Amino acid sequence: MNDDTPLVRLKGVTKKFGDMTALDNLTLDIARGEFVTFLGPSGCGKSTTLRILGGFERPTSGSVILNGEDVTLQPPEKRQVNMVFQDYALFPHMTVRQNISFGLELKGMDKKSIRQRQDEIMSFLELDTYGDRYPAQLSGGQRQRVALARALAPDPALLLLDEPLGALDAKLRGQVQQELKSIQRRTNKTFFFVTHDQEEALTMSDRVVVMNKGRVEQDGTPEELYFHPASRFVAEFIGETNLLSGKMRGLEGDAVVMDWFGQTLRGHAPGGAPRTGDDITASLRLEKLRFHKARPDSCNAVQGRVVGKTFLGSRMAVDLMIDEAAGASLRAFVDAETGQSFGADPVWVGWSSDAMAVLRD
Amino acid sequence: MNRRNRIVLSCVYWAFVLYVFVPLILMILMGFKDSKFIGFPIRSWTLDWYTGVFEDAEVLATLGYSTAIAVLSTIVAVAVGTWIAVLLEGRKFIGRTAIFGLTVLPALVPGIISAIAFRIYARWLGIEPGMGAIIWAHAVHNVPFVALVVMARLSTLPKSQIEAARDLGADPIVAFLRITLPYLMPAILGSSIFCLLLSFDDFVRSFFLGGYDPTLPVLIFAKLKSGMSPEINAIATIALVVTAAIGIWAERFTRRLNKDTQA
Repeated sequence: MNDDTPLVRLKGVTKKFGDMTALDNLTLDIARGEFVTFLGPSGCGKSTTLRILGGFERPTSGSVILNGEDVTLQPPEKRQVNMVFQDYALFPHMTVRQNISFGLELKGMDKKSIRQRQDEIMSFLELDTYGDRYPAQLSGGQRQRVALARALAPDPALLLLDEPLGALDAKLRGQVQQELKSIQRRTNKTFFFVTHDQEEALTMSDRVVVMNKGRVEQDGTPEELYFHPASRFVAEFIGETNLLSGKMRGLEGDAVVMDWFGQTLRGHAPGGAPRTGDDITASLRLEKLRFHKARPDSCNAVQGRVVGKTFLGSRMAVDLMIDEAAGASLRAFVDAETGQSFGADPVWVGWSSDAMAVLRD
Repeated sequence: MNRRNRIVLSCVYWAFVLYVFVPLILMILMGFKDSKFIGFPIRSWTLDWYTGVFEDAEVLATLGYSTAIAVLSTIVAVAVGTWIAVLLEGRKFIGRTAIFGLTVLPALVPGIISAIAFRIYARWLGIEPGMGAIIWAHAVHNVPFVALVVMARLSTLPKSQIEAARDLGADPIVAFLRITLPYLMPAILGSSIFCLLLSFDDFVRSFFLGGYDPTLPVLIFAKLKSGMSPEINAIATIALVVTAAIGIWAERFTRRLNKDTQA
C-alpha cells in the first residue's frame, strides 16, 4: 500500500432511516495522517458518517473502502478503526488499566506485550498514576484521556472522535483541543472528528467538511472555509459575517461584479460563478473592512456613518449605515482606540475583491 | 406539617409496627419456654427446643432438601429470566407485548390456582411429584421477578457501552459476557436472593407438587397437625432469622454494587 492512496474512500454513500435521508450520496477521500473534522448542525449527517465508518451503521447504498479494502459490510470488531465516544463509554467495572487492555486482549496480544503497550500509552497520555482507579473515581478530563488511550492502544488506522469535548467545561475544552491536536501530530494518526462547534473545528483540523442536510456544503482548510465560504450556509455557520444581497452584473477576469443598491462591488466566487442577472448574496468578514479618512484605492469602497459601537475588549464592533446604498448596514471590527475616535463625521471603508465571497444558495 | 400532626402520625406508625411484630415476638418467645404448653405465663426458660431442632434428623434433612430446591430453582429462574430480559429489552418486534405479558403472568396468578394447574399439567406431562416438579413450579413462579428486575437494570445500560466493546474487537457474545453481564450483576444477585427466599418460603406449590419428602414449610404444617409444640417455634425462629439476615445483607450488597458501577 503506498502512501498516496487515501486511507479512507467513501463512494456514493447514502443512508436512509425510513423516509429520512441522513446521508445523500457522499463521496470523499481521507488522506493518511489527516485531521478531518465533520462540522454541522444536528441532523446534518456528520454522526451518521462517523457511525458508518465505525461499522455501527450500514449504508443504504455506496461503499466504504479502508486501506484499499471494501469494509462496507464488516462489523465494528473486524475493522482497524477505533472510536472515542461522546459519553466516553468507559467500562465502569474495569480499572483504567483494564479498560485500556480490553482491546489489546481481544487482538490476541500476549500478557507481556499488553503490559508494555499499556505503560507506553499511559505515560504518553500522562495517566501513569491512575492505572488502578475506576472511571467513577476520575474527573471529566481524565476520563476523556482514558477514552482516548483505550481507543489508541490497539493502534487503529483511523481514530473516530464523536464530539468528545462536549462534556467538558469551557476552560478545559480549550486546553484539550490543543492536546488533541498535538497527540494527533505526534502519533501521526488519521483523526476523524465530529462536532457542531465551529471554533473547535477551526482550531484543530487540517481539513473541515461542512455538512448540511446529508450533503457536503464545503470541504477545505479552516482558512478557506472562513475567508472563502462557498455557500450562504457555510458563511453563516462559521463566524460572524456581513451578508450583502445584490444582483450579478458579470465577470471581469476572475472577479465577480455585483450591484449592491447602486454600488458596484467586486468579489470572488469560491462556490462557482452565478449567471448574470441573478440575485446573489456575498459574505464579507467583519475584520476584512479597512477604515479610511478619504476614499481609498481599494477595489471596493463606500462611505458610511457610524451608528453603533460595541466594545469587545481586544477590539470593537462598529455598525455603519451606508446612505449611498439605500441605508444598508455593514458591521466591522476595529481596534478599540480607533473605534473610540469615530464621531459624527462620515468614514470610508474599503475591502479587496478577495475579501468578499459571492455565495451559492 | 405541624407538631401535633407529626406526633399523631408517629403514634399511628408505632402502633402499626407493634401490630405487625407482636405475633412474631410471641412466636419467638414461645420457642424459649420450658413447657410443652404454648401460652402465658412463661415460668422458666430453656434452649432445649433449639438443641432439639439440631438433633432432629428429619428437620435437618428437610432443611437440606428445601435449600437444594431453593438453589436449583433459583438457578433456573435466573437463567430464564435474564434471557427473557435480554430478549425483550430495547427491542421492538411483533408479539413483544404478548411475550412480556406471559412472562409476568405467573407472578400474578393466585398461588393455589397455579399450584393446582401445575399439578394437573405435571400429571398430563407424566412428571412425577417430587423435587423436579417443585423446582419447575418454583422456577416458573420466580422468572417474572428476575425478568422485571434485570430488565430495569438493562434499560439503564448505555448503548455506547456495547458499541465500545464491539469497536475494540469484541463480537456480540464476548460483549455480552464481558460488558452486559457484569453490568447486570447487581440485578441478578438481588433477584437471586429474592428467588431463594420465595422458594424457601413457598408452601402451596411445594405441597401440591411434592412427593414423600416434605419441604420445610410442609414439614411445619405436618407437625402442626399433630399438635402445636415449641419445637415448631424454634424451627420458625431459625428460618426467620436466617432469611431476614440474608435479605438485609443482599439489600445492602446490591446497593453497594449499584453505587460502585455508577460512573
